[in-house]
Amino acid sequence: MMELFWTIFSAAFVVTVIRTTTPLLLATLGGLIADLSGALNVALEGQMLIGCLTAVIVSVYMPWYVAVLAGVLVGGLLGLLMAFFALRMKADIILVGFAINILAAGGTVFALALATGGDKGTSINLVSKAIPGVDLSFLGGIPGIGPVLVSFLSGHSVLSWIAAFLVFAIWYFLYRTPWGLWLRGVGEYPAAPEAAGIPLDKVRTWSLIVSGALAGMGGAQLAMFNYVGFTRDMTAGRGFIALGAVLLGARHPIGALLAALLFGAFEALAVVMPGLFAWVPAELIRMIPFVVTILALVLFSIRAQRALALRGAR
Amino acid sequence: MALIEAIGVTKVYPGGLVANDAVNLSVEKGEVHAVVGENGAGKSTLMKILFGIEQMNGGTLLLDGKSVAFANPREAIDAGVGMVFQHFSLVPSFAVYENVVMGSEPHRGIRFERDKAISEVRALSEKFRLQVDPLQPTRNLPVGQQQRVEILKALYRNARILILDEPTAVLAPQEVQELFVAIRSLVEQGRTVIFIAHKLPEVLEISDTITVMRQGKTVGQVKTKQITEKELATMMVGREVTLRVDRKATDQSVCVASVEGLRVRNARGTDVVDGLDLKVHAGEIVGLVGVEGNGQAEVLEAIAGLRSTKSGTIKIADEDIGPLTVLERRWRGLASIPEDRLSEGLAPGGSVAENLVATKLADKRYVRRGLLDLNAIKANAQALIQRFSIRVNGPNAPVGTLSGGNMQKVVVARELSEQPRLLLVSQPTRGVDLGSTQFIWRTITDARDQGAAVLMSSADLSELLALSDRLLVIYRGRIVAAFLNRPDLSPETLGTYMLGLSTQPAEDMKMALR
Amino acid sequence: MTDAPTIVASTRWQTIRRETGRALGAALIALAVTCIIVFFTSKAPLEALTTLATAPASRIRTIGLWIDDAAKLTITGLAFSLVFHARQFSMGVQGQVYIGALAATYVVLSPLGVTWAAIPLGMLAAMLAGGLWGFLPGYAKARLGANEIVSSLMLNYIAIELCNFLVRVSLPKPLVGVLTTNDFPDTAVYPALVANTRIDLGLIWALVAVLIVWFALYRTSWGLKLRLVGHNARFAEYSGIRPTTIMVSAMTVSGMLGGLLGSMFVQGQTYGKLTVLFEGNLAFEGILVAIVARARPLAVPFVALAYAYLRQGAQLMNIRTDVPAEVIGIVTALIILLVSSTYSLPGRKVLARLFRREPKPATASATGEV
Repeated sequence: MMELFWTIFSAAFVVTVIRTTTPLLLATLGGLIADLSGALNVALEGQMLIGCLTAVIVSVYMPWYVAVLAGVLVGGLLGLLMAFFALRMKADIILVGFAINILAAGGTVFALALATGGDKGTSINLVSKAIPGVDLSFLGGIPGIGPVLVSFLSGHSVLSWIAAFLVFAIWYFLYRTPWGLWLRGVGEYPAAPEAAGIPLDKVRTWSLIVSGALAGMGGAQLAMFNYVGFTRDMTAGRGFIALGAVLLGARHPIGALLAALLFGAFEALAVVMPGLFAWVPAELIRMIPFVVTILALVLFSIRAQRALALRGAR
Repeated sequence: MALIEAIGVTKVYPGGLVANDAVNLSVEKGEVHAVVGENGAGKSTLMKILFGIEQMNGGTLLLDGKSVAFANPREAIDAGVGMVFQHFSLVPSFAVYENVVMGSEPHRGIRFERDKAISEVRALSEKFRLQVDPLQPTRNLPVGQQQRVEILKALYRNARILILDEPTAVLAPQEVQELFVAIRSLVEQGRTVIFIAHKLPEVLEISDTITVMRQGKTVGQVKTKQITEKELATMMVGREVTLRVDRKATDQSVCVASVEGLRVRNARGTDVVDGLDLKVHAGEIVGLVGVEGNGQAEVLEAIAGLRSTKSGTIKIADEDIGPLTVLERRWRGLASIPEDRLSEGLAPGGSVAENLVATKLADKRYVRRGLLDLNAIKANAQALIQRFSIRVNGPNAPVGTLSGGNMQKVVVARELSEQPRLLLVSQPTRGVDLGSTQFIWRTITDARDQGAAVLMSSADLSELLALSDRLLVIYRGRIVAAFLNRPDLSPETLGTYMLGLSTQPAEDMKMALR
Repeated sequence: MTDAPTIVASTRWQTIRRETGRALGAALIALAVTCIIVFFTSKAPLEALTTLATAPASRIRTIGLWIDDAAKLTITGLAFSLVFHARQFSMGVQGQVYIGALAATYVVLSPLGVTWAAIPLGMLAAMLAGGLWGFLPGYAKARLGANEIVSSLMLNYIAIELCNFLVRVSLPKPLVGVLTTNDFPDTAVYPALVANTRIDLGLIWALVAVLIVWFALYRTSWGLKLRLVGHNARFAEYSGIRPTTIMVSAMTVSGMLGGLLGSMFVQGQTYGKLTVLFEGNLAFEGILVAIVARARPLAVPFVALAYAYLRQGAQLMNIRTDVPAEVIGIVTALIILLVSSTYSLPGRKVLARLFRREPKPATASATGEV
């Protein structure tokens, strides 16, 4: 037991958690934006996966930051595709989302095989790059807490810092800018912004583009830092866990951060636990985020029902 | 010179409905101008044209003497016209100031200048006596204050002319007074207010000028000071030739349905049915007369079992049906023709045959041990198609492809395929062509002749006068007048009670209330 | 009025023609895109495309693969069709497959497995487990208003991880470290209908399921209530039908179909044992089948047959040429996107004018209704 305790509170574990959380957090933020605009983006999984592959392949030929950018752009394009079919062609957005997931599952393996000259499993033949960690070892100079700070803060991926910044940036956007107001209005009660002359479909389209771009960025992190290289189906349900995190986080950026951290911690545990406790199966730990999401869904629904009942009785 | 003028404005909807027929309106700057008329008179359409939601087919609109035509609400807003609808468009979780400024937010760069917005809204609110706390989340506000938010929205965009669509329909009496204070303040500060209304006492209290509309035309324009209530009611309701359908003499002694002390609360918390009593007997048609929104729809829904009641008893044949489900009420012989056939009366994607049998799925003639007897269902459909002259390609045609009149016939056919004990009817011929109307009237009357008790609500006075044996006038959720239908019963008389101008003394009502 | 029968017949044919036309149109576009991709990426594109087009029908063994695939796609297509009819978007078929397979495995690897009861009991266990997996999101939606899309998706992954865990840890295995259970006893495996192929009892179940689902939807009062609820839930309520009960039962029955598919996988000639991740995302392709078939049970097997052909063609193309099978993912996605939207392509309008017919506007709902 003590071993577990020490492990969890060790710097190494915290670093692992931040690593596992980053792609999740990015996808969750993407899911949050889409959800707040009134669209459930079930394609986060596929957008992330395609982002993974794009980043890996581009990084073979280009510097790492171009590869990351490529992942982001591809994700955004997929979001635009979703917007086109769901808003313009009036297809159901859930079906469109699943179509993209199917496209991603097959398309990535297809493209992978093409790029590696036949390997459908991994990109091991490709010399893909990694995102560099941010070296903060200069903090070691600070008297007293210096070394502790270094062990906790140094070495994280650039994207981890960007993700943390994005939490704040998205919060600012949503609650301190006019367009954030528009987006939230469109998602909650479209008749109101419509009456004010706000172009509903434009807002929804942009939110889907950003949603996909964030998922794509998460994919870049996953395939260029958490792992280096592409493996088929490497997202392993993270896109759906992200949807759960959006819910658990009460549809707020800070909540999204906390929920993503929680789920990231579970992912990290799944890696660490079997080493410590062979009897705690990795699968059950991997199951926990999904179970927690269902519980959160149920709890929130109960609360919403009660709130509605109260309002009706006024 | 008038501030805004409509000259000979005509609007014909696709499908042929003439909503506005060479309508004239002349509004002076700084006045409170009421536009009154019954449902279907064309008031809403005219306002929608003024606000750019609809475009006119003919005529001229003058603003400040210049000809204008608004292609969409944005243009109207830019020209200084603001409109407040009956159904608000406010985001529930937003604070008041957020709802007011959304779309025209004060901002520096990307930063939304909240404090500026809040202070601007507060200033507006004080200037025009529209007290509301800018910081409150809108969903916590009572209706009256939500309406103020809507008005503030228009004022924030510098509306010179404010159009209010039935603003008092959703307000409690004190809120109405507060609104009037705000309106007077608006006018003092140079704005002009046009409002659509039904409730004559309020119209007479607040307006300077009144334009009366009826059946798509302007009947006249008068100065409020120069007219009395009775004259106004006459102008509104008119002197139509009322058709009467021949009715057989029936035995009306058995009371089939009785309602006592019914109270229904709506989602906003107001008692839309406020202690209502009525009785319906076998073999009679009771017409529920009233301006839409006075509780008739809710009464019928409550009896049908589609709406929960706060208090009161509903009985069918002396049995309290309160705890019964919709299906159980139908088994007791209740049939109901709903107000909105598309959203409540039919499954548009389903076939005619399926729609005709939808309420009878517990009936052994069509369903045995869970299996559908398709032949019986088809035969039933064909028989009903024949009997009710429904124009359709066959029993399997999707109901959504039928015309309005034929769709209504499907609903009527289903509800009247068996002789019901109690028939509830709401707006039976709305949006229905003349031929189908006559047919539906005949069908309802036949049901009555054969002993059904019929409770009918309609916005069409002539329809009620044509069909009813007794007429009950409902106003603000209560019965305020009751009459036996006589040839000399005129629309004007009914109108006076409909518009809340007077209440019948209890003695006179008793005869007709039985 | 005496014309009624003939008029009715002609509208039905019109509908079939129109819908087939739309499906074909979408398929053609998707295939055209695929051809372009193959042309650009393969060293022997013509050979690849020929394999794609002809290989599945070429030998008994490949036909067997094709038919077996079609049977499985039929079941998942039926499962989605049911929930689409009720206008619910429960996406949990995949989880139902895994949980059904697990339940069947437990029955089969128990002492019951060597008796004659192994097949029927295995199937029953699978259907019950799948039914439960379908019931849970339905109940949460009905009672609490909880979003059934999210809950069903979560249950998918829970089922998969549960299966992974039990196979790795507790179910009997031939070798340590291998991620598959023991082979099932012969009494528990569906007999092959055509020797040396994968065509087994599962095909019969698929056909039986088609008939049962069709019958249930169009000949029982439950089915009529389900369709009415899907058309207009408020009207259904007004007619005395309880929409929530119907929705839950629809999702439960759909779950039973998913469970059955699980049994078909592990008790069928394809596997004969439980292996980790055996399903390979086939369940989600049921979405395509359901949408293209407009959720009509009688059309599902035909769409499944056509789509299975494509799938097998892609597999064979993969084995024999240098084009990966996964290219079909692109086809599938495109077809879903096109068929589920109200697409009236500019070409269609032109074509229609050429033939002097009015272009019929397509509709967006999964069941193809107005």
